[in-house]
Order: sequence, then structure tokens, then C-alpha cells
Amino acid sequence: MNRKYIYTGLVILFVAASGLIFFKYLSKKKIEEKKIYALLPRTNALAGLVEWKDKQANFQLLLKTIEKDRSDVKPKLALASLYLSEARVTGNYNYYDNAALKLVNEIQSIDPKNFDALTFKAMIFLSQHHFAEALAVTKEAETINPYSAFLYGLMVDAYVELGNYKEALVAADKMITIRPDLRSYSRISYLREIYGDYSGAIEAMQLAVDAGSPGDETTEWTRVQLGKLNEFTGNLKNAEFNYAVALSNRPGYAYANAGLGRIAAAKKDYAQAISYYQAADSVLKDYSFKEAIAALYIVTGKEKIAQTLNNEVIVMMEDAFKQSKTYDTIGHYADREMSYAYLHVNKIDKAFEHALMEYDRRPANIDVNENLAWVYYKQGQFELALKYIEIALSTKSKNPELLCRAAFIYSKNNQQAKAKEYLQIALKNNPSFSILLKLEAEQLFKTL
Amino acid sequence: MEKKITPLKAFLFFTAFFILASLAASAHTINYALENKPTHDVAWFYLKLGFAHIIPDGLDHILFIVALCLLSTKIKTIIWQATAFTIAHTITLALSMKNIIAAPPDLVEPIIALSICFVALENLLVTGLKIWRVVLVFLFGLIHGMGFASSLNEIGLPRNQFFTSIISFNAGVELGQMAIIVLIFSTLVYFFGKKPWYNKVIVYPLSILIALIAIYWTLQRLSII
Repeated sequence: MNRKYIYTGLVILFVAASGLIFFKYLSKKKIEEKKIYALLPRTNALAGLVEWKDKQANFQLLLKTIEKDRSDVKPKLALASLYLSEARVTGNYNYYDNAALKLVNEIQSIDPKNFDALTFKAMIFLSQHHFAEALAVTKEAETINPYSAFLYGLMVDAYVELGNYKEALVAADKMITIRPDLRSYSRISYLREIYGDYSGAIEAMQLAVDAGSPGDETTEWTRVQLGKLNEFTGNLKNAEFNYAVALSNRPGYAYANAGLGRIAAAKKDYAQAISYYQAADSVLKDYSFKEAIAALYIVTGKEKIAQTLNNEVIVMMEDAFKQSKTYDTIGHYADREMSYAYLHVNKIDKAFEHALMEYDRRPANIDVNENLAWVYYKQGQFELALKYIEIALSTKSKNPELLCRAAFIYSKNNQQAKAKEYLQIALKNNPSFSILLKLEAEQLFKTL
Repeated sequence: MEKKITPLKAFLFFTAFFILASLAASAHTINYALENKPTHDVAWFYLKLGFAHIIPDGLDHILFIVALCLLSTKIKTIIWQATAFTIAHTITLALSMKNIIAAPPDLVEPIIALSICFVALENLLVTGLKIWRVVLVFLFGLIHGMGFASSLNEIGLPRNQFFTSIISFNAGVELGQMAIIVLIFSTLVYFFGKKPWYNKVIVYPLSILIALIAIYWTLQRLSII
């Protein structure tokens, strides 16, 4: 009899405890749902930009509008757009991508077929390197609005990253027919670059720059890309000019400073190059700046500092990946970048692990194949390296880094003539690219 | 003549309904790496993953199974409970991976810990298998299945081999459970089950220990401690 009562008590206790857990969860969820990500304070040069004040004021206004009516999707879309633009400006993609994704999910729970929400979702997936998901979302959005150049631009990005270059060209054609603007021209430029047409790429990128308004982040980013194309073709003067203009239009612009860093490095003014990169690194979160500084330290014989810096990059990247994982997202894929970062510290096995992870996701992409080929080369598996570098070369891209890597791999496979041919193209007009790779390539060229 | 709906028929109907409904949806975390691999590689990968999810990673599931084993010395009793548990977690695992149901870890994990506490304490009050114990184990299995899903979601599933991976993962979980049952049965129940002191020396202290650990986990998962 007693046991019966105790058992009943136990059941009641269990049900009550489960109810409490459920209640606690619901209250937490309610708070989470109402939570709106703050606009984080900007630091350094970014805080001095005129647009920052406007953005802060706009943010406050949107907050108030959302608070008034949480079912209104318009201010939520505007806020998501503000987060996405802030991610680009500050490089804090982890935080702002999640902030935007939360809003986009909210909008979709109210209006599942909202076209803008779908395009924002595709942008977030692209930013997180979830390219297959991004493509799926753009396809869904296309069924709602097949006349958006912006959407086809996102589709181009997804196809390119997945290595479906033919489909990318078809989407690009639709994009440019609907609306030739900065975004369209810059994508056309990138496609031409992939297919080895540098003069065409420069021409399109110039059109992109001309279509933008000076000082805007997107315009100056495009100008920096134009500078980079000039660097790859050995026109350092033009490149330097573009970086200087970008910096004057947008003071402290990190990518322009990094561009000037590359130019200074090409002129062998390493101290100046380091200071440019440090200026870029202090403004924007981009690991490539730290990696470039480390490379310059190696060139100047400070290998220990370089090693420390490269190890820091790995820790930061691993941390960033962990932090980017929330309930709404499965994190930012950066395996190709991590693979190269591990190569910098000679952890070839880890580099291979990451290269393979990215390859499994998008086996047709040329950059991913280049990465895997380079890791195989570092492992001493030259035949396998050859197999993948030939896929990377399949679009006939003339990117000097790709051609140099190809030359090393051909050389180890006893195809010296091909190695020489690729190095001749890569080093023609003394282009500027990864300083350590260039120095090694020049050495190899002398032996061929 | 009016057809009679037996509980078994009803159960089979609902199971079939949930499984068929799960075929309709298609969203889950994608495992790209395994999409290009042959079926036997995929099956082997998820079988190992399912097994590892119990031994050695799933201490909470291990304690749940141990608590089930302590209810009675009859192997039939253990098998009935294990079967109910397996059917239940298979259903919710498939539905969760198809995004038909979604249970956040914040909710599922503390309740899983609480369910372990409950079955352990029940061992102190009940002897022999009653129908509601099987029903309870089934309900708890539904919750544990959602827990399996959230950890399987970390790894993701290949889009082209969804059922192969789900079935293999479940088979792995099942093998892990069977291993625990065989271990407990062969080391404790078989040798000491008929001893007059079996309950006082083995079942009660072990059940209390499991319940205490489960209470600790519940509080920990609620971020209270």
C-alpha cells in the first residue's frame, strides 16, 4: 500500500519536474525570440566613417519599429540587411551572420515565400561557405521572382564555388541582361579571370568600379579587386593607384592597406609592407593579413615570430568555427583556408584533413582542387598532386599562384618543359602575389 | 462485421504513419564527405557512430539500459523494455533528422537525465514487468531518440543515403545496447539474480546510485549547478 503511494508521488514528482523543465525552456525561448542582436561598437578608423553615425541612428529607429509590431517583416528585412552590411565592413561575419539569420528565420516563419528573406538567406549561406544550401535557396527564390539580377548574382557565386562553371555562365548571362551594375560587372570580371582572360577581367572590373559610388564599401572593395588584377598582370603602378584611391575614398580601408602592403613587399620594402598589413589587421578581422605578416617575417629572417603568428591564426580559426555554431546554423566552413594555415606550420596531416573535407563538399571547384593538389605535393605524393592540379587548371586560369604550384608539381613529375612553360606565364611582367611562393618559384625557374 | 482495432494494430498504424510521414520531408544537416562514398562505407561509418554513441560516449544511455536491466532477473523482461525503447527512439530519430519534429537540446537533455532517475527509482518500488513500465520506457525512448538526433545532426547525413545511414546508426545504437544488456546479464543477473540478497545488495544500491547521478545531470543540464 505504502509503495503504491510512494510510486504515485514519484510519478507526480516526475511530471512536475518535466513541467518545470518545459516552463524554463519556454521562458528562455521567449527571451531568445525577443532578443535582437546589438550593433557592436566599431574600433579604430571604422568608427570615424561618416556612415557609422547614420547606421547607428538607423539601427535605433529599426529597433523601435520592430518593437511596435513584431509581425511586420519590413523593418526586420531592413535590419537583416544592416547586419549583413556591417559584417562586410567589420569582418565580424560570425556575429552578424547569426544576427541576420535569426531575423531571416523569423521573417520566414511569418512569410515563408518572402523573396528578400530568401535572398538574404542565400547571402548568409554563401558567407558561411554553405554553397550547396545557398544554391538551393536561390533556386527556390527564382521560382518566386525570375527577374532579379541580384538573385542571379548570388546564383553565379554559388555555382562558381561549387565548380559548376557552365551553369555559372548561364546565370551570369541572365544577370547581366536584367541589370548591368557593379555587382554584375564584378562577377563577370571574376568569371573572365577564372577562364584566364585578364584583360577582359580588368575591363569588366573597371566598369564595375565606374558603376559604383565612391566611398561605398562595395565600390572600394571592387576597386581593390581591380588593383589585385593589375597586380597579377604585373601592372603594379595601376594597382598602387587603385589602392591609394580606395584609401582616400574610405580612410583606413583594410583591403586597400593590404594591397599597399603587397605592393611594398613586391618592392622589397618589407618593413613598410608589415606596417600596412598591421594597419589592415587592426581594423578588420581577416586571417590573411596575419598570414601575410608572418610570410614577411620569414622573408626577413624572423622565423620564430612568424611561427607564433601562424599558430595564432590556427587557434583563432578553430575558435571562430566553434563560436559560429549556434542552433540556427552549423557554422562557417573554412576548411580550405585552414588547410593552407596548417601548411604554414608544417602540420601536413591536419592540412590534408581539411583539404579533403572541403574537396568532399565541392569536388569540381578549381581552388579546392588546387588546395588538395598542393597538400599532396607537400606530402610527396606527386602523381596524386598532378591529378588534382590538372583539374584546377581545367578552366585555363592564369592565376600566378596556381601556375606556380602547377609548375612545382609538373617538375616533380619529370615534366620540366611544362613546368617551365607555366612559370614563364606566371612570372611574366613580374606580377605580385604570395611572396614566399614567388621567391620559391623564381628559384625553381633558374634551375629549369 | 465491425473490425476490432487492437493496441498492436494501432501501434503499427502510428509507427507506419510516422515513418511514411518522414519520407515526405528532406531537410537535415548534409554530410558531403559521405555522399560520394559507396553504400557499405556509409553503413559501416554510421554503424560505428551509433555504437560509439552508446559505448563509450553515451554514459547517460548506458545508465538507462542498466536501470532497465535491474528491474527483473528475467531476460524476457529486459528484452521487452529494450524493444520498446528501440522502436521509440528509431521513430523520433528519423522524424528529427527529417526535420518533421524538432526538439532543442535545452529541453531534451534534462528530460533524458530525469527519465534515467525515474526508471532507477522505479526499480525500488516495482518488481516484475507491468504494462505501464513498457509504455513509460517507450515514451522515454521517444525522448532519447531526439537526443540521438541532435548529436547525429552534428555529423550530418548524406542526402543520397538517408535511410542507409539512419538504419545503420540505429543498428549501431542497438548493438551498443545489446552489449550493455549482455554484460549486465552475464555478470550480475545470471550469477546473482537468484540469490536472496540480490535486490538489497545489487539492485537497490545500484539504482540509488544511478538515480543520484541522474539528478546531478538534470541539475547540470539545467545550468543550476
